[in-house]
Amino acid sequence: MIPSRFDAKSPNASFPTRRAFLKGLAAAAVLGPSAWAAERRRPKIAALTTIYHKYSHSQHIIDRFLEGYGWEGGHYRPAVDVVSLYVEQVGDNDLSRERARRHPGMKIYPAIAEALTLGGSNLAVDGVLLIGEHGKYPVNEKGQMLYPRYEYFQQIVEVYRRSGRAAPVFNDKHLSWNWDFAKKMYDTAKELGFGLMAGSSLPVTWRQPSIDLPFGVRVEEAMGIWNGGMDGGDIHVIEAMQSILERRRGGETGVRAVEAFRGERFWQAMTAGSWKAGGWDPRLLEAALSRSNQLSPAKPTYSNVFPSLDDLRRLAPNSYAYRFEYADGLKASIVQFEGSVVGDCNVAARLKGGDYFSVLFYLPYYSMRNFFSPQVHHIETLFQTGKSPYPVERTLLTTGMTAAGIESLYQQQHRLETPHLAIRYRPARQSTFWRT
Amino acid sequence: MNIDRRTFLGSLGAAALAAAAPPLLAAPPRRKRIAIVTTVWTYLSHAQHMGDRFLIGYPRHGRWHDSRLQVVSLYVDQKPVGDLSRQRAEEHGFKIYPTIAEALRCGGDKLAVDGVVIIGEHGDYPHNSKGQVLYPRFEFFQEAVKVFERDGRSAPVFNDKHLSYSWEKAQRMVADAKRLKFPFLAGSSLPVTWRLPPVEVPYGAKLDEALMVGVGGSDPMDYHALEAMQCMVERRRGGETGIKSVQLIEGDAVWRAGEEGRWSKRLLEAALSRSDSLKGWSDLDSRPQDLARNGELPKLVQHPAAYFIERNDGLRTTLLMLNGALGDYCFAAQLADGGIVSTQFFLPPTPNVTYSACLMAQVEEMIVTGRAPYPVERTQIASAMLDRCLDSKVAGYRRILTPELNIRYRAPRGSRFGG
Repeated sequence: MIPSRFDAKSPNASFPTRRAFLKGLAAAAVLGPSAWAAERRRPKIAALTTIYHKYSHSQHIIDRFLEGYGWEGGHYRPAVDVVSLYVEQVGDNDLSRERARRHPGMKIYPAIAEALTLGGSNLAVDGVLLIGEHGKYPVNEKGQMLYPRYEYFQQIVEVYRRSGRAAPVFNDKHLSWNWDFAKKMYDTAKELGFGLMAGSSLPVTWRQPSIDLPFGVRVEEAMGIWNGGMDGGDIHVIEAMQSILERRRGGETGVRAVEAFRGERFWQAMTAGSWKAGGWDPRLLEAALSRSNQLSPAKPTYSNVFPSLDDLRRLAPNSYAYRFEYADGLKASIVQFEGSVVGDCNVAARLKGGDYFSVLFYLPYYSMRNFFSPQVHHIETLFQTGKSPYPVERTLLTTGMTAAGIESLYQQQHRLETPHLAIRYRPARQSTFWRT
Repeated sequence: MNIDRRTFLGSLGAAALAAAAPPLLAAPPRRKRIAIVTTVWTYLSHAQHMGDRFLIGYPRHGRWHDSRLQVVSLYVDQKPVGDLSRQRAEEHGFKIYPTIAEALRCGGDKLAVDGVVIIGEHGDYPHNSKGQVLYPRFEFFQEAVKVFERDGRSAPVFNDKHLSYSWEKAQRMVADAKRLKFPFLAGSSLPVTWRLPPVEVPYGAKLDEALMVGVGGSDPMDYHALEAMQCMVERRRGGETGIKSVQLIEGDAVWRAGEEGRWSKRLLEAALSRSDSLKGWSDLDSRPQDLARNGELPKLVQHPAAYFIERNDGLRTTLLMLNGALGDYCFAAQLADGGIVSTQFFLPPTPNVTYSACLMAQVEEMIVTGRAPYPVERTQIASAMLDRCLDSKVAGYRRILTPELNIRYRAPRGSRFGG
């Protein structure tokens, strides 16, 4: 039963939208500046993470809120304050203590609930960062690391229910390794009426070329490629591809089946020559490989060579793929070259009429991993407006696609029907990737 | 067709995708024959990653593009350990000739190629007192010009990087190309590589000031940075008007010059905001930082250098070489209307270095169409400003008036970067 206090009309329902906030400002202007208005201007954020070390996702995301980051020709400092931090695993390489020392506005709490209530009894923050990536966790029989995103989320929601108030949540990467958990997270956010944003940084990073799929075109078949990493790597490629495909005519209609390929079956699919013949359109693979800046040289003494099928097999013998059948008939594959073929994520799509669209999702893997900057910028929008700048249904679907692909691999690569992935949504026409 | 940034930007959606693909059965046109003239062809040398593009194709607009150029002859000046020229010639069926003239004539008595690609980078050559490597680009070019003159026919020429270490030699090369009326393209790959973000100085915009940040040694890497800056500022109102004066300073004087406003801290912030590879704290624990303002810069950069280049129309442009602060090449300009344009010239990693594919696509276009896609004066003026900056350095870091660098030209409006 949904408590009535979560009714959107209740003043405590959730963090005020930007519009409501502006109305509040107008009222404040009449009454004169008030401490309340100044206080509300900078949302307070709680950050919850599994671990905080150099190159961990929490370091990349939380650091940007604390230290600022390069943005549109300046060093930008977000207009929100991370006031509390919960870190589950603290090892020798921990940075959370150093960060808390230099940023005394951020206090470390020993429990999730305390981070959310700032040690009090009720929710005392206006937004939550949930970053459950990296750290040591058990691995299940399918090879998935059981990051406790769902468990953290449940604890957040417990505080929300207790406090009669909710706040927007950003969940890093897929919602969970487990589809049922993910669906519950999504349903709970709907039920309590708070903004939920999630996913990979790939959909919003730089692209080369700097283009999006023309909105509303018909797409027949698509492919995303990268260099493997079941589950943790899969979600990135699937979500990069999904951020392109969701713009097709009719919007997203969901996925009705998945089939995994590994070993000899994978190499048969690679040489099949078409989807119909049991593989994929080889022009899609050519297009995706031809966007890469990181092809492993397949031939000694040459530095940038297009690999032959024999090269692919030699360089990445344990590669695998998932083929997805969408409800509206679209076909899409991700090909994960486990080994040394390609070092970056590229997506290609064949449009109706035979044109090919292809793009590289550029991840600057240098000192600062700046592909987190556009994601953090969008997270700030979530916290300022209460609404995710792009649909969380994208990540709900990609979470399910990832889990289904892994399940198919686990079930001897059988094709699996996925009626639970009948997820329909429409993205905004305006692109959200980094261009400025 | 494939969808690239330009067609995408120019499109209103699906309409731009309606163009039909070229018929598959059309006979391929005869490939243009080229000679490569180079100092050395070893793994990861410029000759290798540029020359190979014409032998095995390269990524372009989402296809693996087979070059429309056929390498038919090669002159290679040095064959050190690791030489690949003989292996390439055998594998790809071209001949190596002992002289440039023979390479251009393919062993016959008349010019026998449709284009010449001169790659005078890498190899063992002496340095002069200004620290310049005396690569024989001018001398290679003169050999080609002699053939053109004797045989009564010219062909398009590409020259990799600066025309010469000497501004006077550079000037003669441009004059020779004009006199014999052959297309001449040159320069660095930075102007045509990807940019983050993909921006230009708005064509015809009035600029107040421009700043480039680069890293690496002199004179290979400062050259790249200067030409990158040049391809941005040449688009300003009135076009390029030439160089009035240059000055190179080094050490703490660089920071003092910033305090005195000789270069803009705001533009440095803008340029550094485009870097993906700040050092210091960011290297230590990956945190982003406001390096232009947090006081760390002088600690990180032991030997800063500033190249002040004042233009005839009054524009002040500065290159800061900041080894130790970052690892990439970033630009910022203050527009008179108050806006700032800033970007990183993105150098994709070794070994693919796909920026050289972006450049070789321009070379291919010149040789196929007979028209240089952008003016060689860009490279001439960048070559000249570097040479004269090094003169300033050896003359005690004095400001030098440069009436001889009265190089005026107009940039094309269209963009050429990415691919």
